[in-house]
Amino acid sequence: MTTLDFRPRVLVTKIGLDGHDRGSRIVAAACRDAGMEVIYTPPWQSIAAVVKLALEEDVDVVGISSLATDHLIVPKLMRALREAGLGHIVVVVGGIVPDNEEAMLLESGVREVFHPGSTMDEITTRIRAYAGEARRAGQNSPLAQETQP
Amino acid sequence: MANDASAASAAALSTMALAGDRRAIARLLTLFDDDGPGARDAAAAFAAKAGRARIVGVTGVPGSGKSSLVNALLGVWLGRGLQVAVVAVDPSSPITGGAVLGDRVRMGEHGSHPNVFIRSLSARGELGGLSRATRAAVDCFDAVGFDRVIVETVGTGQSETRIAALADTRVVVCPPGLGDAVQAIKAGTLEIADVLAVSKGDLPLAEQTAREMREMLGLRRATSEQAWKPRVVVVKALQPGGIEDLLSAIEAHEQAIGPGQRLRQAAAASSPAQGAAPAAMDAAAWRARLASLAERDGLCATLGISVLAGGPGRAEVAMTVDARHMNFNGGCHGGAIFALADSAFGLASNSHGPVAVGIDAHITFQAGVAAGDFLVARASEVHRTRKVAVYRIDVLRPAPGGADAAISSFTGTVYIKA
Amino acid sequence: MNKRLESPLTAAHAASDAKARWQREYGETIGADRKVTNVSGIAIQPLYGSDDWANYGQSDPLGYPGQPDYTRGIYATMHRGRTWTQRQLIGLGTPDDYNTRLLEIMARGATAVSLIPCNSVYRGYDMSSVEPELLGTCGVVVNNAEHMARCLEGVDVGEISCAMNDPSPFTLLAFMLVTAERRGIDWNKITGTSNQSDYISHFVANHMFYRLSLPGARRVLMDHITWCNEHVPRWNPMSVVGQHMQQAGATPAEAMAFTLATAVQNAEDCIARGMDPDHFLPRFTFFFDISMGFFEEVAKFRAGRRIWARLARERLGAKDPRSWRFKFHGQTSGVDLTRQQPLNNIARVTAQAMAGIFGGLQSLHTDSYDEVFSTPSEAGARIAVATQNILREEAHLTDVIDPLGGSFYVESLTDEMEERIVSIMKTIDDAGGMYKAVESGLVQRMIGASAMRFQQRVESGEQVIVGVNAYRADDDAATRPAVARPDAAAMQRHLDAFAAWKAERSPSSVNAALDGLTHAAEDEQRNVFGAVVDAARAGLTNEEICTRLRRDLGFGQPLAFV
Repeated sequence: MTTLDFRPRVLVTKIGLDGHDRGSRIVAAACRDAGMEVIYTPPWQSIAAVVKLALEEDVDVVGISSLATDHLIVPKLMRALREAGLGHIVVVVGGIVPDNEEAMLLESGVREVFHPGSTMDEITTRIRAYAGEARRAGQNSPLAQETQP
Repeated sequence: MANDASAASAAALSTMALAGDRRAIARLLTLFDDDGPGARDAAAAFAAKAGRARIVGVTGVPGSGKSSLVNALLGVWLGRGLQVAVVAVDPSSPITGGAVLGDRVRMGEHGSHPNVFIRSLSARGELGGLSRATRAAVDCFDAVGFDRVIVETVGTGQSETRIAALADTRVVVCPPGLGDAVQAIKAGTLEIADVLAVSKGDLPLAEQTAREMREMLGLRRATSEQAWKPRVVVVKALQPGGIEDLLSAIEAHEQAIGPGQRLRQAAAASSPAQGAAPAAMDAAAWRARLASLAERDGLCATLGISVLAGGPGRAEVAMTVDARHMNFNGGCHGGAIFALADSAFGLASNSHGPVAVGIDAHITFQAGVAAGDFLVARASEVHRTRKVAVYRIDVLRPAPGGADAAISSFTGTVYIKA
Repeated sequence: MNKRLESPLTAAHAASDAKARWQREYGETIGADRKVTNVSGIAIQPLYGSDDWANYGQSDPLGYPGQPDYTRGIYATMHRGRTWTQRQLIGLGTPDDYNTRLLEIMARGATAVSLIPCNSVYRGYDMSSVEPELLGTCGVVVNNAEHMARCLEGVDVGEISCAMNDPSPFTLLAFMLVTAERRGIDWNKITGTSNQSDYISHFVANHMFYRLSLPGARRVLMDHITWCNEHVPRWNPMSVVGQHMQQAGATPAEAMAFTLATAVQNAEDCIARGMDPDHFLPRFTFFFDISMGFFEEVAKFRAGRRIWARLARERLGAKDPRSWRFKFHGQTSGVDLTRQQPLNNIARVTAQAMAGIFGGLQSLHTDSYDEVFSTPSEAGARIAVATQNILREEAHLTDVIDPLGGSFYVESLTDEMEERIVSIMKTIDDAGGMYKAVESGLVQRMIGASAMRFQQRVESGEQVIVGVNAYRADDDAATRPAVARPDAAAMQRHLDAFAAWKAERSPSSVNAALDGLTHAAEDEQRNVFGAVVDAARAGLTNEEICTRLRRDLGFGQPLAFV
């Protein structure tokens, strides 16, 4: 068993209209094999559903798989997460993202874009690091502050 | 100190959760999952406030139709304006400890309803922790005001018994076709069912499967003492009105057993054999108590011996004979029958609380046993003093109409430790 | 291994001497030899000889093209008589954009129409219901019969074969038929295919949305087949898809096995409905991915062709040889294309196309090199069509039928692929058939395992991907094309026009058409697709039709996964 002081909770999902999910399934399995808890959804999740899920499951990282153009609505997701008080969650995107659109994503708050050729090791290592960051940030976020004695 | 601050924040999170803050609930659930600072106190506080919600356990393997059934339940309850929480338990990889939790999205469109809260928990390979975290989650949802809590499990192992004990009413879902049902029986899953739901009720095979399951359960009814006789229903989850029979069965069970049942059972199950036996336990609580003892027994697990019923000085266990139990002559190994009887012996003699160890045992074999036979061992107390007790165990092969075949007689004596 | 017995004849001695000599010299020179297995898991030798091919030495070991079991091709003339159909899948932006691109491609040699709608259409939504950024990026936004008419302006659908890529409830075909009717074209003249109509593959691989539930989709597909057989007799309503499963990670052998099992499932459903196999099987077509495993793909197709002939005859009871013919469309696999050094994709597509041609396909789509980023650019689409023309005209690939036939390697590999495919099909049979195997998640789990294995092959370096895990270039970014997105202003005009059109419709005729759908859905004896065509004629949109049918026949939900 891996020794962690906490177990990262990661959401792997697809929003928008495209259904190709071979990559997201492999990433979900790789995160599981790396000892993380993965909430896995099929494609076509609405932004509202993703936000509700992220809140109820108290996830640390949200991984969006995008092969077509669905990443174009990720900025909407970022806004919705912040409005729900979930700004501490780290969001990453994986798949096919043209260079000019990658910049747009990073500006909207996405932490990293993984391109084809990234190995599972690389992805899971980064996600685990981001999860730790998110967990700590979550403890410092407004909700936690309200509860400090 | 950091721990004090975190524990204090756990308490404050509890206050916010009780006031309806969903994010606070979610944070607490993570705390319970990680068994973090303040978790146990917070859990105890919720347990004290719990008892209003109805808890339904739903167990079924992938493909059994469980998710459609849960979705249909959500539909009906949401339609009545109820608040429903779902705790979806998925097995985790025993090697890495990681898990993929995919159950929640199989529940369809109701997952997005504001009156629904779905949380996925992984088994983390370690039963005690999961059991504690699930119980804390259920109590939390109960205490903060959810009307119904569904505990969803996959049902592939002995851990299900422990989780199932959290529910007031336990539903086991099987697809039509006897193969899966027989597998479920062997896995001991059917032992825990209050309601057996045969899914995909629009298929012609469903009614037939339901009939055959009622017959199989009928054999058990003849041999065990229970306040509630498990009911078999057919479910058509995708059709409006298709879960009426299931809803009636659940409501009937709740009437028969009374609310807050699980809390009494939980108290019974969590107290170990050492110490005084709790007073005034009913049949279901006794069964749960003995089942939790049997769960710690390696040989019971190895041979597939499960608990049917129990009481003070009484125990009833069962086993289906398969390849594990056979001898070189193609019949059932006497040692397997001995083990079955001895298990009933051990449970009955330890049922009062103080540890009892066997010091003498005798067995006679009266009839042959073949592969596939379903055997029951019933232990009763013949005599008990402060230090010594004698038990008689009958092993029989139940048959319809009460014409049970007597297989074996076993007598045992125990020494009762301090 | 030399399977031949020791023979006293000198010639045989000499041959085995020569082989032993080669083996010795090979062993001495090769150094550290590597073990090679193809993606389907078959071990590949460095050399194949006559003793590797079981049928070698028999007279007519392969049969002839156009004769059962069709190993060498389903027609006597194959591509030499009539070249494969150049059927490029096109779809982008608004109907105006689609029509422009279509006419251009046809002017450059494409001989048939294939229409891919926007993902929003697959989801059962009209354009007014989705985020505008997502419209028209992967296909054309067609929501009603008028849009379809605009897409097909200048195309005589009575003469040119049209493929509509659209599964249950087949609204696009309904729009097309209404368009033909309004143009006075007799439906008896219309040819083409309900491409990718196979609902089972969509549930496995999530590539197109399964708008209806699994049993609902099954019902509508059967209605569709029955209705088309009667009203559009030259139309192929059944297109069984292997592409999605292979793209999701199934090995070529698995993809062929699952596809044939799906065809059997659909055929048995038709037979259960009382249809005569010889009536519907001649209109069954298949749709496959062609990956970079060159010889593996050739062998996969030849084996598949043989197996299908046998299945149709022995298992499904078809007596007419036309029912035994394995007709298929191949599409070069987009999964093999890379984002890095994208011009390399032209070479990849060429190799894939060749494998499909040698495999004996009836129709071919070649990907554009920039397809990995979005719908193809004009330049990319042009090169894709030119690739097919070059292979035909300059490489003379249509001069000889089944030119790889008789190759020791190809015949041995075809036999081995056949064995593997049949064995996988048995696993599906044991699970109760393809419908049950997909419902329970068995197929998805098998595919997931294969996908993981392939990922490991790539990460370990066993499978080299040029430009990705080897032969990398630093100036990569410079060669990546700028991605074209649909013109937002044009899409807005399309949205506005649609809204205006909707406002003009009579609510009573809309409601009557919706009720027609419900009546058909509730009555097993009525034909749901017939009701869809009526609804299209009455002016209902894709979303209206799908929403009503989802209500009545079940909303498509994902099945077990991971």
